[in-house]
Amino acid sequence: MQAYELDSPERLRNHLARERLLYQPQADGQGALRWQRLDDPAQPFVVPAEPPVFSAKAFFFAEREALFRYENGRFIALVPEARPQVLFGLAACDLTAVAYQDRFFAVDPHYQARRAATLLVGLDCAHSCRHGFCAMMDSGPEVRAQTADLILCPLAQRWLLLVASERGAEVLAGLALQPAPADWAQQRDAQALQVAVEQGEQEEIALGCAALNGETVDSQAWEALGLRCLGCSGCTSVCPTCSCFAPLQQPSAGGVVQERVWDSCLYQGFQQEASGHNPGATPGQRVQRFWYHKFGEDFRQRFGRDGCVGCGRCDAVCPGGIGVHQVMKRIGEP
Amino acid sequence: MIDLTPRPLRLLEFYEDGEAARHFSFAVEPLAGEPAAQPGQFFMLAVPGVGEAAFTYVSPPDAEGRFSALIRRTGTLTAALFALAPGAVLGYRGPFGRGWPAAGPGERLLLVAGGCGLAPLAGVIDSAAGELQLIYAARNRAYQVLARERARWHERHALVETLDQGDDGRPQGHPLEALARVLDEDGLPAKVLCCGPEPLMLAVARGCIDHGLPASRIWLSLERRMHCGVGLCGHCYIGSSYACVDGPSYRYDEYLRLLAASGQAAATALPPQPC
Repeated sequence: MQAYELDSPERLRNHLARERLLYQPQADGQGALRWQRLDDPAQPFVVPAEPPVFSAKAFFFAEREALFRYENGRFIALVPEARPQVLFGLAACDLTAVAYQDRFFAVDPHYQARRAATLLVGLDCAHSCRHGFCAMMDSGPEVRAQTADLILCPLAQRWLLLVASERGAEVLAGLALQPAPADWAQQRDAQALQVAVEQGEQEEIALGCAALNGETVDSQAWEALGLRCLGCSGCTSVCPTCSCFAPLQQPSAGGVVQERVWDSCLYQGFQQEASGHNPGATPGQRVQRFWYHKFGEDFRQRFGRDGCVGCGRCDAVCPGGIGVHQVMKRIGEP
Repeated sequence: MIDLTPRPLRLLEFYEDGEAARHFSFAVEPLAGEPAAQPGQFFMLAVPGVGEAAFTYVSPPDAEGRFSALIRRTGTLTAALFALAPGAVLGYRGPFGRGWPAAGPGERLLLVAGGCGLAPLAGVIDSAAGELQLIYAARNRAYQVLARERARWHERHALVETLDQGDDGRPQGHPLEALARVLDEDGLPAKVLCCGPEPLMLAVARGCIDHGLPASRIWLSLERRMHCGVGLCGHCYIGSSYACVDGPSYRYDEYLRLLAASGQAAATALPPQPC
């Protein structure tokens, strides 16, 4: 990987923003970060201490979008208008999630139109966030090479800029950069190791995962967790790999538009059929389903890795206290 | 890339075919290079202004794109469909999913259907080259579907019909008793293909296994809520599989393995439903 020294992330950011819409995590005025468009090049880039409330998935898998229009006996495909954009400062976990969804939505024209127009600039984490366990989930702390175009690494005295794709190399044209010192990789590895140490052993995740795949968790344990699920869809909304959607037909001038909107497998009616039959009728079954999708061995085989990237957002958002750490702790208990 | 946009479909005609059920004829413009629909596959029917839902073929699209489907009025989409007149424009996507396994040369098939579950098996019966037996269970005579097809099939195949409530109000036969009798008298078939309410299918599968038929020779057509038909929207999961692409036809041993791996026991949340 080509490595450069960078005096400030803002210089790179403003260079990239010249020909693209640029988004970065910014304070939302409510004490958290959200992905927002950069309007003022003078605005500093702040390294997030905690991940943005929402991951970057909505940039590609839109929370709500039109699929087709029906008008005068014809169905007209509605493909999204994709403008060149750059996501600046994606953590390793979120980039791993993008790679996971790239694979899941490989043949989805709506997802891929936006994805093809997007440059990804990763950011190594210098410290662990509160709930993160990316080191254990093989998604961080340092950005994985195949998941980004460019990678920023904050070291004690300076920034490293790593080129992770051909596209990443191309967009640096016109930016004067000095090569990084020879030991950059060792410094980066040492920092990643330090973050992993901060995250600790994460024993409850390992035990919970083993119990889930060992088929040793009985339905009563799931129903006990289900009692704490409000069916609010908080976890599925913030989860960077959740991908379920529902159709929604909306009237429009002279016809109807078929949209799709994010859905949640925690909703009672998610699997309800017109006959009344509901294979996911109880809250426990739905909670079990969610976690099986994230940690089940069959899904790991099918999609090449676990569905969880260890970002810890579900821990932060769940009003019932059944985010990943508490669920894994409860089901992993002997 | 997949295309989530339907093609126009014309409603040609329909006739009443069982209580609250109609047999529809549709026509869709054929596409060059389009794969032929196999028995047990399904299509997404779009009713403009209402939405899309999955239905199976009774007869697959011919060279002119004409096909038929048996549809029971159950929810909002079918209610809107039943209000339409011939000539109406609808939408079509398909064919989707994995249909029934083909019968090998000389193989004898045993088909067990309950209620509307006869529809996805129609293509198997109509295209059968070898010996075939059929058990058809329904809650009463009015609920039986595919009357014209059954009249035709009676002439060519051994067809047993059972009713939960016969014309005199009492049960007329029982699908599991009929199954046991067929297995006892005729021996084990090469394959059992079953479609109906899930409790019936599971009972049939258990009955077959009790008679010594391996689970790998039993196939079930599983119904799940389907919205996209292409394995993306997530609603039709069965364990780690998606019924719209990995099913709806599942080999029984695969189905049991999927449920076990996902920590679900078969039929835990299935209320007993009449056919």
